[in-house]
Amino acid sequence: MNKGRIISIHSFRGGTGKSNITANLAAQAALAGKRVGVVDADIQSPGIHVLFGLNESKMGRTLNDFLHGKCAIVEAAFAVGKNSGDAEGRAKLAGKDLWLIPSSIAGREISQVLRSGYDFNKLNEGLQTLIKELNLDYLFIDTHPGLNEETLLSIAISDIIIVILRPDDQDIQGTAVTVDVARSLDVPKMILLVNKALPKLDRADIKARFEAEFDAPVAGFMPLTFDLAENASKDLFSLSRPEHEWSLALREVAGAVLAMK
Amino acid sequence: MSEDIIQQLKTVYLFRGLSDEALSPLAQKVGVLKLMRDDVLMRKGERGESLYMIHDGWMKVVTEDSRGGELIINKCGPGETIGEMALFDQAPRSASVIALEDVTVLELKQDDFQKILDERPGLSLVIIHGLSSRLRFSTTYIEKAIDWSQKIAEGDYSFIDYTPTLLRRAGSDEDKAGQLLSAFFKMVKRVKEREDGLKQQVEKLTFEIDQARRKREFDEITSTELYTRIKEQARKLREQRFERQDE
Ligand SMILES: Nc1ncnc2c1ncn2[C@@H]1O[C@H](COP(=O)(O)OP(=O)(O)OP(=O)(O)O)[C@@H](O)[C@H]1O
Ligand SMILES: [Mg+2]
Repeated sequence: MNKGRIISIHSFRGGTGKSNITANLAAQAALAGKRVGVVDADIQSPGIHVLFGLNESKMGRTLNDFLHGKCAIVEAAFAVGKNSGDAEGRAKLAGKDLWLIPSSIAGREISQVLRSGYDFNKLNEGLQTLIKELNLDYLFIDTHPGLNEETLLSIAISDIIIVILRPDDQDIQGTAVTVDVARSLDVPKMILLVNKALPKLDRADIKARFEAEFDAPVAGFMPLTFDLAENASKDLFSLSRPEHEWSLALREVAGAVLAMK
Repeated sequence: MSEDIIQQLKTVYLFRGLSDEALSPLAQKVGVLKLMRDDVLMRKGERGESLYMIHDGWMKVVTEDSRGGELIINKCGPGETIGEMALFDQAPRSASVIALEDVTVLELKQDDFQKILDERPGLSLVIIHGLSSRLRFSTTYIEKAIDWSQKIAEGDYSFIDYTPTLLRRAGSDEDKAGQLLSAFFKMVKRVKEREDGLKQQVEKLTFEIDQARRKREFDEITSTELYTRIKEQARKLREQRFERQDE
Protein backbone atom coordinates (compact mmCIF):
# COMPACT_ATOMS: atom_id res chain seq x y z
CA MET A 1 0.00 0.00 0.00
CA ASN A 2 2.98 2.26 -0.34
CA LYS A 3 2.46 3.44 -3.87
CA GLY A 4 0.01 6.20 -4.63
CA ARG A 5 -0.99 7.24 -1.17
CA ILE A 6 -3.70 9.81 -0.82
CA ILE A 7 -3.08 12.39 1.89
CA SER A 8 -5.74 14.96 2.55
CA ILE A 9 -5.25 18.06 4.62
CA HIS A 10 -8.14 19.44 6.61
CA SER A 11 -9.10 21.93 9.21
CA PHE A 12 -12.39 22.70 10.81
CA ARG A 13 -12.01 26.44 10.42
CA GLY A 14 -10.53 28.53 7.63
CA GLY A 15 -7.14 30.17 7.50
CA THR A 16 -5.32 27.56 9.57
CA GLY A 17 -2.57 27.27 6.96
CA LYS A 18 -3.81 24.23 5.02
CA SER A 19 -2.82 25.52 1.60
CA ASN A 20 0.63 26.66 2.67
CA ILE A 21 1.31 23.44 4.52
CA THR A 22 -0.04 21.21 1.74
CA ALA A 23 2.04 22.97 -0.90
CA ASN A 24 5.19 22.87 1.20
CA LEU A 25 4.76 19.21 2.20
CA ALA A 26 4.24 18.29 -1.45
CA ALA A 27 7.29 20.33 -2.45
CA GLN A 28 9.43 18.61 0.20
CA ALA A 29 8.28 15.20 -0.99
CA ALA A 30 9.12 16.13 -4.60
CA LEU A 31 12.49 17.46 -3.49
CA ALA A 32 13.13 14.11 -1.84
CA GLY A 33 12.68 12.52 -5.26
CA LYS A 34 9.08 11.37 -4.89
CA ARG A 35 6.50 11.66 -7.65
CA VAL A 36 3.86 13.92 -6.25
CA GLY A 37 0.43 15.24 -7.20
CA VAL A 38 -1.53 18.02 -5.53
CA VAL A 39 -5.26 18.44 -6.04
CA ASP A 40 -6.99 21.65 -5.10
CA ALA A 41 -10.31 20.33 -3.84
CA ASP A 42 -11.22 23.68 -2.33
CA ILE A 43 -13.61 24.38 -5.17
CA GLN A 44 -15.34 27.17 -3.27
CA SER A 45 -12.23 29.20 -2.63
CA PRO A 46 -9.27 27.84 -4.58
CA GLY A 47 -5.89 29.20 -3.60
CA ILE A 48 -3.04 26.73 -3.63
CA HIS A 49 -2.22 27.43 -7.30
CA VAL A 50 -0.76 30.79 -6.27
CA LEU A 51 1.85 29.04 -4.14
CA PHE A 52 2.95 27.08 -7.20
CA GLY A 53 3.23 30.23 -9.30
CA LEU A 54 0.17 29.47 -11.39
CA ASN A 55 -1.91 32.54 -12.17
CA GLU A 56 -5.16 33.09 -13.97
CA SER A 57 -3.55 33.75 -17.32
CA LYS A 58 -1.47 30.56 -17.22
CA MET A 59 -4.28 28.36 -15.93
CA GLY A 60 -5.39 25.80 -18.49
CA ARG A 61 -7.73 22.90 -17.78
CA THR A 62 -8.96 22.50 -14.21
CA LEU A 63 -10.47 19.95 -11.86
CA ASN A 64 -13.85 21.49 -12.70
CA ASP A 65 -13.39 20.65 -16.39
CA PHE A 66 -12.66 17.07 -15.48
CA LEU A 67 -15.68 16.80 -13.18
CA HIS A 68 -17.88 18.13 -15.98
CA GLY A 69 -16.52 15.60 -18.41
CA LYS A 70 -14.77 18.23 -20.51
CA CYS A 71 -11.29 16.71 -20.26
CA ALA A 72 -9.27 13.84 -18.90
CA ILE A 73 -7.82 14.44 -15.44
CA VAL A 74 -4.24 14.32 -16.70
CA GLU A 75 -4.96 17.18 -19.06
CA ALA A 76 -5.65 19.36 -16.04
CA ALA A 77 -2.28 18.55 -14.46
CA PHE A 78 0.09 21.52 -14.39
CA ALA A 79 3.71 20.33 -14.33
CA VAL A 80 5.31 22.45 -11.62
CA GLY A 81 8.78 21.05 -12.33
CA LYS A 82 8.64 22.31 -15.89
CA ASN A 83 7.21 25.70 -14.95
CA SER A 84 9.03 26.41 -11.73
CA GLY A 85 9.84 30.02 -12.69
CA ASP A 86 12.36 32.20 -10.93
CA ALA A 87 10.86 32.72 -7.48
CA GLU A 88 13.69 31.81 -5.11
CA GLY A 89 11.97 28.84 -3.45
CA ARG A 90 9.99 27.43 -6.35
CA ALA A 91 13.03 27.52 -8.62
CA LYS A 92 14.36 24.59 -6.60
CA LEU A 93 11.55 22.44 -7.98
CA ALA A 94 12.90 22.64 -11.54
CA GLY A 95 12.93 19.17 -13.01
CA LYS A 96 11.09 17.61 -10.06
CA ASP A 97 8.10 15.35 -10.53
CA LEU A 98 5.33 17.50 -9.13
CA TRP A 99 1.92 18.18 -10.64
CA LEU A 100 -0.88 20.44 -9.58
CA ILE A 101 -4.52 19.93 -10.51
CA PRO A 102 -5.93 23.40 -9.92
CA SER A 103 -9.49 24.30 -9.23
CA SER A 104 -11.15 26.87 -11.45
CA ILE A 105 -11.18 30.42 -10.18
CA ALA A 106 -13.99 31.38 -12.54
CA GLY A 107 -17.10 32.16 -10.49
CA ARG A 108 -19.44 30.46 -12.94
CA GLU A 109 -17.64 27.15 -12.76
CA ILE A 110 -17.43 27.31 -9.02
CA SER A 111 -21.17 27.71 -8.63
CA GLN A 112 -21.78 24.98 -11.18
CA VAL A 113 -20.00 22.36 -9.09
CA LEU A 114 -21.63 23.59 -5.93
CA ARG A 115 -25.05 23.26 -7.53
CA SER A 116 -24.65 19.83 -9.02
CA GLY A 117 -22.53 18.47 -6.19
CA TYR A 118 -19.50 16.24 -6.47
CA ASP A 119 -19.81 12.93 -8.10
CA PHE A 120 -18.03 10.62 -5.71
CA ASN A 121 -17.20 8.02 -8.28
CA LYS A 122 -16.08 10.53 -10.84
CA LEU A 123 -13.72 12.24 -8.41
CA ASN A 124 -12.37 8.99 -7.17
CA GLU A 125 -11.89 7.59 -10.63
CA GLY A 126 -10.02 10.79 -11.52
CA LEU A 127 -7.65 10.49 -8.58
CA GLN A 128 -6.95 6.83 -9.27
CA THR A 129 -6.25 7.59 -12.94
CA LEU A 130 -3.93 10.40 -11.94
CA ILE A 131 -1.99 8.15 -9.58
CA LYS A 132 -1.66 5.50 -12.25
CA GLU A 133 -0.83 7.62 -15.27
CA LEU A 134 1.62 9.90 -13.52
CA ASN A 135 2.91 6.99 -11.48
CA LEU A 136 2.53 9.01 -8.26
CA ASP A 137 3.97 8.09 -4.90
CA TYR A 138 1.81 10.66 -3.12
CA LEU A 139 -1.31 12.59 -3.91
CA PHE A 140 -2.04 15.54 -1.63
CA ILE A 141 -5.52 17.01 -1.42
CA ASP A 142 -6.04 20.56 -0.20
CA THR A 143 -9.58 21.11 1.00
CA HIS A 144 -12.19 23.64 1.96
CA PRO A 145 -12.51 24.11 5.73
CA GLY A 146 -15.39 22.54 7.61
CA LEU A 147 -17.25 19.29 7.14
CA ASN A 148 -19.19 19.78 3.95
CA GLU A 149 -19.75 17.27 1.20
CA GLU A 150 -16.47 17.61 -0.65
CA THR A 151 -14.53 17.48 2.59
CA LEU A 152 -16.28 14.31 3.70
CA LEU A 153 -15.50 12.85 0.29
CA SER A 154 -11.82 13.61 0.40
CA ILE A 155 -11.57 12.33 3.97
CA ALA A 156 -13.30 9.13 2.97
CA ILE A 157 -10.93 8.29 0.14
CA SER A 158 -7.73 9.17 2.03
CA ASP A 159 -5.05 6.88 3.33
CA ILE A 160 -3.73 9.55 5.62
CA ILE A 161 -5.48 12.61 6.93
CA ILE A 162 -3.63 15.57 8.37
CA VAL A 163 -5.82 17.74 10.56
CA ILE A 164 -4.48 21.22 11.14
CA LEU A 165 -5.55 23.37 14.04
CA ARG A 166 -4.50 26.49 15.81
CA PRO A 167 -4.19 26.47 19.58
CA ASP A 168 -7.50 28.28 19.99
CA ASP A 169 -10.79 27.25 21.63
CA GLN A 170 -12.97 27.29 18.54
CA ASP A 171 -10.45 25.37 16.46
CA ILE A 172 -10.08 22.77 19.19
CA GLN A 173 -13.82 22.22 19.58
CA GLY A 174 -14.35 21.87 15.83
CA THR A 175 -11.31 19.65 15.43
CA ALA A 176 -12.75 17.23 17.95
CA VAL A 177 -15.74 16.69 15.66
CA THR A 178 -13.57 16.44 12.52
CA VAL A 179 -11.40 13.83 14.15
CA ASP A 180 -14.42 11.79 15.29
CA VAL A 181 -15.96 11.89 11.81
CA ALA A 182 -12.68 10.94 10.10
CA ARG A 183 -12.32 8.03 12.45
CA SER A 184 -15.82 6.82 11.79
CA LEU A 185 -15.06 6.98 8.04
CA ASP A 186 -12.26 4.44 8.70
CA VAL A 187 -9.36 6.57 7.50
CA PRO A 188 -6.36 4.34 8.19
CA LYS A 189 -4.03 7.05 9.51
CA MET A 190 -4.62 10.38 11.13
CA ILE A 191 -2.15 12.97 12.41
CA LEU A 192 -2.61 16.39 13.95
CA LEU A 193 -0.58 19.46 13.14
CA VAL A 194 -0.61 22.61 15.25
CA ASN A 195 0.03 25.73 13.19
CA LYS A 196 0.31 29.38 14.23
CA ALA A 197 1.50 28.37 17.70
CA LEU A 198 2.79 31.20 19.89
CA PRO A 199 6.35 30.53 21.01
CA LYS A 200 5.46 30.89 24.68
CA LEU A 201 3.10 27.91 24.64
CA ASP A 202 4.11 24.79 26.50
CA ARG A 203 4.32 22.36 23.59
CA ALA A 204 4.86 19.18 25.55
CA ASP A 205 1.75 19.94 27.56
CA ILE A 206 -0.36 20.66 24.47
CA LYS A 207 0.90 17.55 22.73
CA ALA A 208 -0.01 15.32 25.65
CA ARG A 209 -3.46 16.83 26.11
CA PHE A 210 -4.36 16.90 22.42
CA GLU A 211 -3.25 13.32 21.97
CA ALA A 212 -5.37 12.25 24.92
CA GLU A 213 -8.36 14.25 23.73
CA PHE A 214 -8.22 13.32 20.02
CA ASP A 215 -6.53 9.94 20.22
CA ALA A 216 -4.18 10.87 17.34
CA PRO A 217 -0.50 11.87 17.34
CA VAL A 218 0.54 15.51 17.14
CA ALA A 219 3.15 15.36 14.37
CA GLY A 220 4.35 18.93 14.56
CA PHE A 221 4.18 22.45 15.92
CA MET A 222 4.50 25.20 13.38
CA PRO A 223 5.20 28.54 15.00
CA LEU A 224 3.21 31.67 14.29
CA THR A 225 5.58 33.87 12.37
CA PHE A 226 5.44 37.24 10.68
CA ASP A 227 7.89 36.04 8.09
CA LEU A 228 5.43 33.54 6.69
CA ALA A 229 2.57 36.01 6.84
CA GLU A 230 4.74 38.50 5.00
CA ASN A 231 5.55 35.93 2.34
CA ALA A 232 1.83 36.32 1.49
CA SER A 233 1.69 32.97 -0.34
CA LYS A 234 4.06 34.36 -2.98
CA ASP A 235 6.53 31.51 -2.72
CA LEU A 236 7.06 28.15 -1.08
CA PHE A 237 8.39 29.26 2.26
CA SER A 238 10.16 26.02 3.23
CA LEU A 239 12.18 26.35 0.01
CA SER A 240 12.83 30.09 0.04
CA ARG A 241 13.68 30.17 3.77
CA PRO A 242 14.90 26.61 4.45
CA GLU A 243 16.59 27.50 7.74
CA HIS A 244 13.59 29.31 9.23
CA GLU A 245 12.08 27.57 12.27
CA TRP A 246 8.74 27.19 10.47
CA SER A 247 10.55 25.41 7.63
CA LEU A 248 12.48 23.18 10.03
CA ALA A 249 9.21 22.17 11.68
CA LEU A 250 7.62 21.55 8.29
CA ARG A 251 10.49 19.36 7.11
CA GLU A 252 10.16 17.33 10.27
CA VAL A 253 6.49 16.70 9.49
CA ALA A 254 7.34 15.89 5.87
CA GLY A 255 9.91 13.39 7.10
CA ALA A 256 7.36 11.77 9.40
CA VAL A 257 4.75 11.55 6.63
CA LEU A 258 7.19 10.03 4.14
CA ALA A 259 8.31 7.51 6.75
CA MET A 260 4.76 6.28 7.42
CA LYS A 261 4.33 2.62 6.69
CA MET B 1 45.18 77.78 40.40
CA SER B 2 45.83 79.41 36.99
CA GLU B 3 47.88 76.47 35.69
CA ASP B 4 45.17 74.19 37.00
CA ILE B 5 42.54 76.16 35.13
CA ILE B 6 44.46 75.96 31.88
CA GLN B 7 44.71 72.21 32.26
CA GLN B 8 41.00 71.95 32.87
CA LEU B 9 40.14 74.17 29.91
CA LYS B 10 42.11 71.80 27.75
CA THR B 11 39.76 68.96 28.61
CA VAL B 12 36.86 70.89 27.08
CA TYR B 13 36.60 69.70 23.50
CA LEU B 14 36.02 73.25 22.24
CA PHE B 15 39.47 74.31 23.40
CA ARG B 16 41.32 71.13 22.65
CA GLY B 17 43.36 72.55 19.79
CA LEU B 18 44.65 75.50 21.76
CA SER B 19 48.12 76.01 23.23
CA ASP B 20 48.71 77.08 26.84
CA GLU B 21 49.45 80.62 25.64
CA ALA B 22 46.27 80.84 23.66
CA LEU B 23 44.33 79.61 26.65
CA SER B 24 45.81 81.95 29.20
CA PRO B 25 43.58 84.99 28.34
CA LEU B 26 40.55 82.68 28.70
CA ALA B 27 41.90 81.28 31.95
CA GLN B 28 42.13 84.77 33.34
CA LYS B 29 38.42 85.25 32.85
CA VAL B 30 37.50 82.01 34.55
CA GLY B 31 35.84 82.48 37.91
CA VAL B 32 35.73 79.99 40.76
CA LEU B 33 32.45 79.15 42.50
CA LYS B 34 32.18 77.26 45.79
CA LEU B 35 28.93 75.41 46.30
CA MET B 36 27.58 73.45 49.23
CA ARG B 37 25.23 70.51 49.23
CA ASP B 38 21.83 71.42 47.68
CA ASP B 39 23.10 74.70 46.20
CA VAL B 40 21.64 75.20 42.75
CA LEU B 41 24.14 75.90 39.96
CA MET B 42 21.51 76.37 37.28
CA ARG B 43 17.78 76.02 37.04
CA LYS B 44 15.86 74.40 34.24
CA GLY B 45 14.30 77.00 31.96
CA GLU B 46 16.65 79.83 32.91
CA ARG B 47 18.61 81.50 30.17
CA GLY B 48 22.08 80.00 29.98
CA GLU B 49 24.90 82.51 30.07
CA SER B 50 27.92 80.54 31.29
CA LEU B 51 29.90 77.39 30.72
CA TYR B 52 30.80 75.49 33.86
CA MET B 53 33.55 72.98 34.54
CA ILE B 54 33.51 70.90 37.69
CA HIS B 55 36.85 71.05 39.44
CA ASP B 56 35.99 68.81 42.31
CA GLY B 57 32.89 67.33 43.93
CA TRP B 58 29.76 65.78 42.46
CA MET B 59 26.55 67.31 41.19
CA LYS B 60 23.23 65.91 40.06
CA VAL B 61 21.40 66.85 36.87
CA VAL B 62 17.67 66.83 37.56
CA THR B 63 14.40 67.45 35.87
CA GLU B 64 10.83 66.88 36.98
CA ASP B 65 8.87 63.73 36.53
CA SER B 66 5.22 63.81 35.41
CA ARG B 67 4.05 64.34 39.01
CA GLY B 68 6.40 67.23 39.66
CA GLY B 69 8.85 65.17 41.69
CA GLU B 70 12.60 65.34 41.22
CA LEU B 71 14.00 63.01 38.61
CA ILE B 72 17.78 62.58 38.51
CA ILE B 73 18.84 62.11 34.92
CA ASN B 74 22.59 62.18 35.38
CA LYS B 75 25.46 62.85 37.76
CA CYS B 76 28.57 64.84 36.94
CA GLY B 77 31.91 64.94 38.66
CA PRO B 78 35.41 66.35 38.41
CA GLY B 79 36.56 67.24 34.89
CA GLU B 80 33.10 67.39 33.37
CA THR B 81 31.77 70.36 31.44
CA ILE B 82 28.23 71.63 31.79
CA GLY B 83 26.26 73.84 29.42
CA GLU B 84 28.99 74.70 26.94
CA MET B 85 26.42 75.72 24.31
CA ALA B 86 25.59 78.73 26.49
CA LEU B 87 28.79 80.27 25.12
CA PHE B 88 27.12 80.57 21.72
CA ASP B 89 23.44 80.93 22.35
CA GLN B 90 21.21 81.82 25.25
CA ALA B 91 18.82 78.94 25.02
CA PRO B 92 17.05 77.97 28.26
CA ARG B 93 18.80 75.35 30.39
CA SER B 94 17.38 71.91 29.68
CA ALA B 95 17.77 70.68 33.24
CA SER B 96 18.69 71.88 36.72
CA VAL B 97 22.09 71.13 38.25
CA ILE B 98 22.41 70.83 42.02
CA ALA B 99 25.41 70.12 44.25
CA LEU B 100 25.47 66.78 46.02
CA GLU B 101 28.31 67.83 48.34
CA ASP B 102 30.91 70.58 48.52
CA VAL B 103 31.74 71.39 44.93
CA THR B 104 34.20 73.71 43.21
CA VAL B 105 33.07 74.89 39.82
CA LEU B 106 34.92 76.98 37.26
CA GLU B 107 32.79 79.45 35.35
CA LEU B 108 33.37 81.09 31.98
CA LYS B 109 30.80 83.73 31.12
CA GLN B 110 29.47 84.17 27.62
CA ASP B 111 30.27 87.93 27.62
CA ASP B 112 33.92 87.38 28.54
CA PHE B 113 34.27 84.54 26.08
CA GLN B 114 32.86 86.58 23.21
CA LYS B 115 35.03 89.57 24.05
CA ILE B 116 38.11 87.40 23.76
CA LEU B 117 36.88 86.02 20.47
CA ASP B 118 36.46 89.57 19.16
CA GLU B 119 40.02 90.37 20.13
CA ARG B 120 41.45 87.17 18.66
CA PRO B 121 39.66 86.01 15.50
CA GLY B 122 42.16 83.15 15.10
CA LEU B 123 40.67 81.53 18.16
CA SER B 124 37.27 81.26 16.46
CA LEU B 125 38.67 79.01 13.78
CA VAL B 126 40.08 76.56 16.29
CA ILE B 127 36.78 76.50 18.14
CA ILE B 128 34.80 75.99 14.96
CA HIS B 129 37.11 73.11 14.19
CA GLY B 130 36.37 71.62 17.62
CA LEU B 131 32.64 72.03 17.09
CA SER B 132 32.61 70.52 13.62
CA SER B 133 34.64 67.49 14.55
CA ARG B 134 32.20 66.97 17.39
CA LEU B 135 29.36 67.21 14.93
CA ARG B 136 30.92 64.62 12.69
CA PHE B 137 31.47 62.36 15.68
CA SER B 138 27.80 62.77 16.62
CA THR B 139 26.66 61.98 13.11
CA THR B 140 28.54 58.70 13.24
CA TYR B 141 26.72 57.83 16.44
CA ILE B 142 23.39 58.82 15.05
CA GLU B 143 23.96 56.65 12.00
CA LYS B 144 24.86 53.82 14.33
CA ALA B 145 21.66 54.32 16.32
CA ILE B 146 19.59 54.26 13.13
CA ASP B 147 21.31 51.08 12.02
CA TRP B 148 20.64 49.43 15.37
CA SER B 149 17.02 50.52 15.38
CA GLN B 150 16.49 48.79 12.07
CA LYS B 151 18.19 45.64 13.33
CA ILE B 152 16.07 45.61 16.48
CA ALA B 153 12.92 46.01 14.42
CA GLU B 154 13.94 42.84 12.58
CA GLY B 155 14.61 41.04 15.86
CA ASP B 156 18.35 40.92 15.15
CA TYR B 157 20.27 41.61 18.35
CA SER B 158 23.56 40.17 17.17
CA PHE B 159 25.27 43.58 17.21
CA ILE B 160 25.27 43.46 21.02
CA ASP B 161 28.08 40.94 20.84
CA TYR B 162 30.45 42.93 18.69
CA THR B 163 29.88 46.46 19.94
CA PRO B 164 31.67 46.83 23.33
CA THR B 165 34.83 48.43 21.86
CA LEU B 166 32.86 51.24 20.32
CA LEU B 167 31.12 51.90 23.60
CA ARG B 168 34.27 52.01 25.60
CA ARG B 169 35.35 54.83 23.35
CA ALA B 170 32.01 56.60 23.72
CA GLY B 171 31.99 56.21 27.48
CA SER B 172 35.36 57.86 27.85
CA ASP B 173 34.16 60.96 26.10
CA GLU B 174 31.86 63.61 27.44
CA ASP B 175 30.12 63.75 24.12
CA LYS B 176 26.33 63.78 24.43
CA ALA B 177 25.69 61.74 21.29
CA GLY B 178 28.05 59.12 22.66
CA GLN B 179 26.16 59.08 25.93
CA LEU B 180 22.89 58.78 24.10
CA LEU B 181 24.21 55.85 22.13
CA SER B 182 25.51 54.24 25.26
CA ALA B 183 22.14 54.65 26.99
CA PHE B 184 20.41 53.32 23.91
CA PHE B 185 22.67 50.30 23.91
CA LYS B 186 21.94 49.55 27.56
CA MET B 187 18.25 49.81 26.83
CA VAL B 188 18.51 47.34 23.94
CA LYS B 189 20.31 44.88 26.18
CA ARG B 190 17.52 45.12 28.73
CA VAL B 191 14.85 44.70 26.09
CA LYS B 192 16.60 41.64 24.76
CA GLU B 193 16.92 40.15 28.22
CA ARG B 194 13.25 40.73 28.84
CA GLU B 195 12.36 39.22 25.49
CA ASP B 196 14.49 36.16 26.19
CA GLY B 197 12.83 35.89 29.57
CA LEU B 198 9.38 35.98 28.00
CA LYS B 199 10.37 33.29 25.54
CA GLN B 200 11.36 31.01 28.35
CA GLN B 201 8.23 31.71 30.34
CA VAL B 202 6.11 28.94 28.89
CA GLU B 203 2.40 29.19 29.24
CA LYS B 204 -0.08 26.39 29.49
CA LEU B 205 -2.89 26.53 26.98
CA THR B 206 -6.28 26.60 28.61
CA PHE B 207 -9.07 24.95 26.70
CA GLU B 208 -12.07 22.88 27.41
CA ILE B 209 -13.98 20.79 24.95
CA ASP B 210 -17.74 20.79 25.25
CA GLN B 211 -18.19 17.03 24.97
CA ALA B 212 -21.96 17.16 24.72
CA ARG B 213 -21.73 19.52 21.79
CA ARG B 214 -19.02 17.40 20.22
CA LYS B 215 -21.29 14.34 20.38
CA ARG B 216 -24.30 16.28 19.11
CA GLU B 217 -22.46 17.66 16.09
CA PHE B 218 -20.96 14.27 15.31
CA ASP B 219 -24.41 12.69 15.41
CA GLU B 220 -25.84 15.41 13.18
CA ILE B 221 -23.26 14.75 10.49
CA THR B 222 -23.20 10.99 10.67
CA SER B 223 -26.96 10.62 10.64
CA THR B 224 -27.35 12.21 7.22
CA GLU B 225 -28.08 10.21 4.11
CA LEU B 226 -25.05 11.85 2.46
CA TYR B 227 -22.73 10.56 5.14
CA THR B 228 -24.09 7.02 4.94
CA ARG B 229 -23.65 7.02 1.17
CA ILE B 230 -20.09 8.36 1.32
CA LYS B 231 -19.11 5.88 3.99
CA GLU B 232 -20.48 2.98 2.00
CA GLN B 233 -18.77 4.12 -1.20
CA ALA B 234 -15.48 4.63 0.60
CA ARG B 235 -15.68 1.12 2.04
CA LYS B 236 -16.21 -0.40 -1.39
CA LEU B 237 -13.41 1.68 -2.77
CA ARG B 238 -10.94 0.48 -0.19
CA GLU B 239 -11.87 -3.10 -0.88
CA GLN B 240 -11.31 -2.59 -4.58
CA ARG B 241 -7.94 -0.98 -4.02
CA PHE B 242 -6.85 -3.81 -1.77
CA GLU B 243 -7.90 -6.33 -4.34
CA ARG B 244 -6.08 -4.44 -7.08
CA GLN B 245 -2.93 -4.37 -5.02
CA ASP B 246 -3.17 -8.02 -4.16
CA GLU B 247 -3.28 -8.89 -7.82
N1 LIG C 1 2.54 29.78 11.01
C1 LIG C 1 2.05 30.89 10.42
N2 LIG C 1 2.42 32.11 10.89
C2 LIG C 1 1.92 33.23 10.29
N3 LIG C 1 1.09 33.24 9.25
C3 LIG C 1 0.70 32.06 8.75
C4 LIG C 1 1.16 30.82 9.30
N4 LIG C 1 0.60 29.82 8.58
C5 LIG C 1 -0.16 30.40 7.63
N5 LIG C 1 -0.11 31.74 7.71
C6 LIG C 1 -0.83 32.73 6.89
O1 LIG C 1 -2.22 32.56 7.13
C7 LIG C 1 -2.96 32.78 5.95
C8 LIG C 1 -3.81 31.57 5.63
O2 LIG C 1 -2.96 30.52 5.20
P1 LIG C 1 -3.45 29.44 4.16
O3 LIG C 1 -4.08 30.10 2.97
O4 LIG C 1 -2.35 28.49 3.94
O5 LIG C 1 -4.59 28.78 5.05
P2 LIG C 1 -5.83 27.91 4.61
O6 LIG C 1 -6.14 27.08 5.79
O7 LIG C 1 -5.55 27.23 3.33
O8 LIG C 1 -6.92 29.01 4.40
P3 LIG C 1 -8.38 28.78 3.75
O9 LIG C 1 -9.17 28.14 4.82
O10 LIG C 1 -8.82 30.17 3.43
O11 LIG C 1 -8.17 27.92 2.55
C9 LIG C 1 -1.95 33.11 4.86
O12 LIG C 1 -1.87 34.50 4.75
C10 LIG C 1 -0.65 32.55 5.40
O13 LIG C 1 0.46 33.28 4.91
MG1 LIG D 1 -6.63 27.14 1.48
